[in-house]
Amino acid sequence: MDVAANGHPQEITGAVMVVGGGIAGIQASLDLAESGYKVYLVEKRSALGGHMAKLDKTFPTNDCAMCTISPRLVDVASHPNIEILTDSEVAALEGTAGAFTATLRTKPRFIDTDVCNGCGKCAEVCPETLPSLFDEGLCQQRAAYRLYPQATPAAYAIEKRGVAPCRDACPAGQRVQGYIALIREGRYGDALRTIREDNPFPGICGRICNHHCESACSRGKVDEPLNIRGLKRFVVDREYARPRVAPAPAERRYTERIAIIGAGPCGLTAAQDLLCQGYGVTVFEALPAPGGMLRFGVPAHRLPAEVVEREIQDILDLGVDLRLNTRVDNLDELFALGFKAVLIAVGAQEGIRLPIPGNDLNGVIINTHFLRDVRLAEMKRAEGDEAGAAGVDPRRLIEGKNVVVVGGGDVAVDVARSALRLGARKVRMAVRGSSGRMPAGEHEQKAAREEGIEIDVGLNFLRVVDDGAGHVAGLECERAHFEPDANGRRSAVTVPDSKFVIPGEVLIFSVGQRVGLGLAPADSNLHISRDKTLAIDAETTATGRPGVFAAGDCTSGTAFAVQAIASGHKSAESIHRYLREGVAKVAEKPALSVAEMSQDDIDRKLRQRQIIRTPRVPMPEMTVATRRGDFAEVELGYSEEQAQAEAGRCLSCGICSECNQCVYVCGIDAIDHDMVEKTRDIHVGAVVLAPGYQTYRAQLSEEYGYGRYPNVVTSLEFERLLSASGPNNGHVRRPSDARTPKRIAFLQCVGSRDQTHDYCSAVCCMSAAKEAIQAIEHEPDTKIRVFMMDTRAFSKGYETYYRTAREKYGIAYTRCRISDVREDPATKNLVLRTWDRAGAREMIEEEFDMVVLSVGMEIAPEVRDLGRRLGVELDDYGFCCTVQFDPLQTSRPGVFAVGPFREPKDIPESLMDASGAAASIGELLFSARGTLTREPEFPPERDVSGEETRTAVFVCHCGTNIAGFLDCGEVAEYAKTLPGVIHAEESLYACSRDSVSHIADTVRELGANRLIVASCTPLTHESLFRDCARGAGLNPFLVDMANIRNQCSWVHGKSRGEATAKAKGLVRMSAARAAELKPLKTGEMAMNSNALVVGGGPAGMTVALSLARQGFGVHLVEKQPELGGALRQQHFGLDDIGVANPLGRNGVRIKPQQLLAELVAEVEAEPLITVHRETVLAKTSGFMGNFTSTLSSPDGAVQVQHGVAVLATGGIEYRGEEYGYGSDPRILTQSQFEEKLAAGEAPGRVVMIQCVGPAKRYCARICCTVALKNALILKQRRPSAEVTVIYKDIRTYGFKERLYDKALEAGVRFVHYDDARKPEVSSENDRPVVRVFEEILGKEMALQADYLVLSTPLVPPPAARELASCLKVPIDADGFFLEAHVKLRPVDFLSEGLYMAGSAHYPKSLEETLVHARAAAARAGALISHDSITVGGSIAEVDPALCVGCLTCVRSCAYAAPRINPDLCGVGGVVGAAYIEPALCQGCGLCAAQCPADAIQLKHYTDPQLRAKVDALFEHSHEIRAS
Amino acid sequence: MTTPDTAIASPPATTSDFHPEVVAFCCRHCAYAAADLAGGLRQPYPSAIKIVELPCTGRIDIVNVLHAFEDGADGVLIAGCVNGSCHYLRGNLYARQRLDYIQALLKEIGLKPQRARMINISAAMGVQFAELASEHVDTVRALGPSPLRGSVRKEGKPA
Repeated sequence: MDVAANGHPQEITGAVMVVGGGIAGIQASLDLAESGYKVYLVEKRSALGGHMAKLDKTFPTNDCAMCTISPRLVDVASHPNIEILTDSEVAALEGTAGAFTATLRTKPRFIDTDVCNGCGKCAEVCPETLPSLFDEGLCQQRAAYRLYPQATPAAYAIEKRGVAPCRDACPAGQRVQGYIALIREGRYGDALRTIREDNPFPGICGRICNHHCESACSRGKVDEPLNIRGLKRFVVDREYARPRVAPAPAERRYTERIAIIGAGPCGLTAAQDLLCQGYGVTVFEALPAPGGMLRFGVPAHRLPAEVVEREIQDILDLGVDLRLNTRVDNLDELFALGFKAVLIAVGAQEGIRLPIPGNDLNGVIINTHFLRDVRLAEMKRAEGDEAGAAGVDPRRLIEGKNVVVVGGGDVAVDVARSALRLGARKVRMAVRGSSGRMPAGEHEQKAAREEGIEIDVGLNFLRVVDDGAGHVAGLECERAHFEPDANGRRSAVTVPDSKFVIPGEVLIFSVGQRVGLGLAPADSNLHISRDKTLAIDAETTATGRPGVFAAGDCTSGTAFAVQAIASGHKSAESIHRYLREGVAKVAEKPALSVAEMSQDDIDRKLRQRQIIRTPRVPMPEMTVATRRGDFAEVELGYSEEQAQAEAGRCLSCGICSECNQCVYVCGIDAIDHDMVEKTRDIHVGAVVLAPGYQTYRAQLSEEYGYGRYPNVVTSLEFERLLSASGPNNGHVRRPSDARTPKRIAFLQCVGSRDQTHDYCSAVCCMSAAKEAIQAIEHEPDTKIRVFMMDTRAFSKGYETYYRTAREKYGIAYTRCRISDVREDPATKNLVLRTWDRAGAREMIEEEFDMVVLSVGMEIAPEVRDLGRRLGVELDDYGFCCTVQFDPLQTSRPGVFAVGPFREPKDIPESLMDASGAAASIGELLFSARGTLTREPEFPPERDVSGEETRTAVFVCHCGTNIAGFLDCGEVAEYAKTLPGVIHAEESLYACSRDSVSHIADTVRELGANRLIVASCTPLTHESLFRDCARGAGLNPFLVDMANIRNQCSWVHGKSRGEATAKAKGLVRMSAARAAELKPLKTGEMAMNSNALVVGGGPAGMTVALSLARQGFGVHLVEKQPELGGALRQQHFGLDDIGVANPLGRNGVRIKPQQLLAELVAEVEAEPLITVHRETVLAKTSGFMGNFTSTLSSPDGAVQVQHGVAVLATGGIEYRGEEYGYGSDPRILTQSQFEEKLAAGEAPGRVVMIQCVGPAKRYCARICCTVALKNALILKQRRPSAEVTVIYKDIRTYGFKERLYDKALEAGVRFVHYDDARKPEVSSENDRPVVRVFEEILGKEMALQADYLVLSTPLVPPPAARELASCLKVPIDADGFFLEAHVKLRPVDFLSEGLYMAGSAHYPKSLEETLVHARAAAARAGALISHDSITVGGSIAEVDPALCVGCLTCVRSCAYAAPRINPDLCGVGGVVGAAYIEPALCQGCGLCAAQCPADAIQLKHYTDPQLRAKVDALFEHSHEIRAS
Repeated sequence: MTTPDTAIASPPATTSDFHPEVVAFCCRHCAYAAADLAGGLRQPYPSAIKIVELPCTGRIDIVNVLHAFEDGADGVLIAGCVNGSCHYLRGNLYARQRLDYIQALLKEIGLKPQRARMINISAAMGVQFAELASEHVDTVRALGPSPLRGSVRKEGKPA
């Protein structure tokens, strides 16, 4: 292709973006990377694997899906030229084919995939659960999770919706949901640790916090918010019941000292933070004890002194230099003393006296003094200082008196309740209530009233009444209401004649507190705000004077403890930055979204009974009667049971609760809860869209009861139930009662072939058959009935599989669409009503234990959005529209669509698409091939031959994964005693980047010649350590791994001794084998970059063109004189009858014959293609990369050299004698009929019979489509034509279903038959007549026909068999070429370098042929794109001197690798010994075990190596058993 | 039928201090992966099981198994792919044939054939691996120590 001429830019980028990490995306990535392109594999979820990873088995081979996909996962993860980008989506795509720029958006995963080694500790400690993302919600998973055990990348992820509203609402950012989740798990110590993360005063906040969290709590939208404060207190009380363990003093890292003025909550919080940062901290406190308002402002009935003292002591123990009774009045002195920064946290301690007459009479007290003195007296008394206590105790002023408290805030209530406890006769609160209500919290007011305190709200205070002796006698007030004035301030409107006096001998003002501003004289550079507080920078808490910071109440006015704590944290951080960076600064926290739960969400969950309304658990309290005169705590705290119940109400809004437990256990700092979404641009030449499908949401079909009836499950859920790694380890259990279902019904076409889906989902029939078979395999006496319309078993091996399901497993199939499912509420069994079979025309009811809904494929809304963002045209269902005869090309050049995104399809077809797209991209980008890829580089390999064994052993701790369960130190010490071991050491994480380079350095420095890593599994880590060895100059085969994690620490975790002993045994075995390991050479063999393509039909021509356009030479061999093959008989496409609507190429749609002409012209014009007409392949020798073939034609024979061969020999229409074919010119095959139609005929009566001849044995896939296409062409031309199709199943899969709809609409008649009652053909009145039994009428019909058209299957041409034997490739029972793996290698032969394309593999439509051909071109092209092939390594080798030439190896090898080489001499000098071609050997070792003469060894698994390993197990067996 | 195991040497009177050793030959593609998964799922099985990794159970020669018994193994487990799912097509079927032969040989030399067992599991069957491995160890434990233990090979390594 002339790139520039086609309007593509000259600058071609040799990279490709593949969107979607399912099996199709993986395949496309591997093919492209192998072909020399850099690949970005973009996956929306946290791991690759897509739907296939969820499957239990795959049809038709019943292979374990995980077994087949996981090697691909390992390949894709370890490929140096594939970059996997998980959690990512494409936001935009700019540019044109050859040079795109894609913008990727990566969601935060909260775990760094580059760092995480997948140890799983985070998931173990994670307290949050959610319905399993992988197991379809059938069980629970943790918020920290790995999608499935074999997931790639192996890194964990954290599922987080955002910050929980409770945390968001808390000034200190308490991880509320986190500690509640931990409470729920009974992990109270962990809960306290989580609380302390943000709050050094949990016991205090658990009692007196004003809990903004509770106002924000989503549970409030259900019934009542959680009692979060009560839960916090529960945790603290429980933990504080244990003796306090003093924390160790903080480690000092910096020389600077910081002065903090005020030992209240703010100052002490900052002190703690700064100490932990490593500073020296001195705290100055004017009072005789630390604690500030906590100690001297809150009465004991709400906050016992011991709680405050304990929490303060925990901070002091970190190393606070506390100076009590020390008032600081001058900042200069502090700086003069050497302090480098000062934090002013003096609080707001000055009470306020209202400016009314009599405010200074005897008996008038100020709130702050009152509360302080009460606590001071209590403190002195506790210290035994009775006299001192008596000196300050306000009790003597209060006892027996009437007390009036002026004010209505929380402090006022504290004052009133304290007065009551001090023995006041009566306490009355006089409240202005300018906002129309009392400012104190509801709970506080209620408590006060309960205790007998009278509260009078709505007063204007006039004066304090004098008793005449200078002493208080009461408070004169008038009633008032308050209305906003022009300034918005509320002013009193008094009620006339409402003056009255509240009597009392003591009056306590509690109308607010002020900041003491003694520190801020005019010259101090400290500024005072309008509110009479210290002015600070709100972001940093810095004052106007450098180095001086202020925080807490003195900057904000009276606030709650939690705000003081928050401001203390902020100040400390700012001071740290100031001292380290010279600028006061607080780290910018990423703005994480708040995980609000909408009322809709909540209502939905209520409806689905995921949430059950349960009110808050009441907080136990002291009885009112016992409260008077006693400062004992009123609230008693939750019991464990109550706390569990209350914690159970949490809705876990954020999913991840940010409890930080994962952070504590992660040994490698992989977790970052502050990750935010990132965007990144990548430059690519082309794009593959493989976003896959979503299953139909079965709850939308309400008649089936999914979501309401627990035992109605979807097919995907059933798949997980069957899976050995699923929720029940492969035991199918009913969700309702965990019983094994004995009667299961499958309902087909749920979300397919219905009013809202005019297409067939193509896989459900087969997957139902597979699931049914597996269910019976698990529980042999299970009875299964499948309710279906047609069974679409249309692909290779499917019909046989379907027959096996019916005949061998006894699975019953009923042609019936079930209209509703009903549940027996008592048994939860499900009742289906269906028409009686055998035509009795009665409704019968059948009961099942379980119903499986075979849900169809849909395109997810986010995929439609993706399509729109990328500018590719989608159809009404969101499927991707593609170009006619270029079925992978979307409407945007350079962007290709593969897999179910363009039409529902199964795995092999998705893989054909994927490889096909790789070929199309190769054609587009080949000029840039290899420009962006890299090969890893290693130093030259050291020759270790002749050296003694010098083994270095590294014993990995894997954090605590290994070290937590066995003694790694002991294992390492033991290793040193083993023969050949020169060095052994432990490693925290052997696979971390640092460790790997340390291992390489150590090996090099010590001159070690063997490396043993005792860690995890070689399946995932061997390649890493082999590269490590190569980095140290060692041959990679000199590495052995002892799997002491998966096989030891994780399995024998219960006994440390036993696990340690076994680990020693495994290391000893490893060391013994290592001593026997030999360096293995891999060699390079030259690669011939030409291809041989056999077959000049549409498949062969497409392969040839694609390879030529990728720059490879092609020999195209065609038996006939003309190119074209079966395409020469095709005249109409589905677009001709309006059931397909492909995009035109360059806007124009063409006919199949025009395509043929174009293909032939292009092939003939292509200089890299040599066409050999009237030629057959006579002989081939050689192997992958180096074939020599003889082509024979009437002109003679020529020899050609080629690296690969593609067999595209197509199929021919079966023309047997069934139904009178050949006896009457009016009995035709479909292709003959199509010729007639093409010639313009329009017969009036046509009868078609489906499934003729061999089609009884296998379904030839396309006959139904062709028959309906021809029927519709006729109907289009002659609407009155009578067309009858006599069929067994109509297999119009995928979008071809529209043909069926259209045919029914056009009046085509369908008559069903089965093999027991086949139609019969005779000739009457010189016309063919077909007699067929009509099941619905219950009688035989006779149909006269102008033409009887037989839908005969495509069969392999006779030459295919010869070709197969010439190339030694296998064919299946029906004569089609047998691919390497029916599911995962649909174009490869098992022998490398040989591929198949088109109908030679299995009958295919033209479009499918074109895709399969491109797929073959991709696979072949990827191989010959390499200059050479790497051979060798762990392969089998023959010692000819021992070979007797018995051919056992030749016969047993599946890859035709061994052959008898006449150039070699065997035993006794007999000419001819076996030789194993290294390029073909797959390294299974079968031949080595089979060889009767022991002449073959499988390298790296030789007998001596195996023997040494097993011997070593028994050499020190006493030691292993010592445990 | 005689009890050939006891015909050669007498096992200890009690089996409480009997710690069997079972060599488990596991194919890399399915069984070894299943054992890895068993670990990942924290499925316990006896520490008697010592896994030897191979590309395919088809690689296991009869002598490899006999050597293990000769060394003193109380049991041998051959763990391969599910039938029909062999990564190399038919390796596990060959292994099965050889196991039959091995069992016949064991019988002939007076060992219980149950000491050698083959299981077929997929890479997704971690739980089942642990179950089957435990089951085999139980079988071996019930049979008692191999009479060959410590009785055959007295010298060092074979050539």
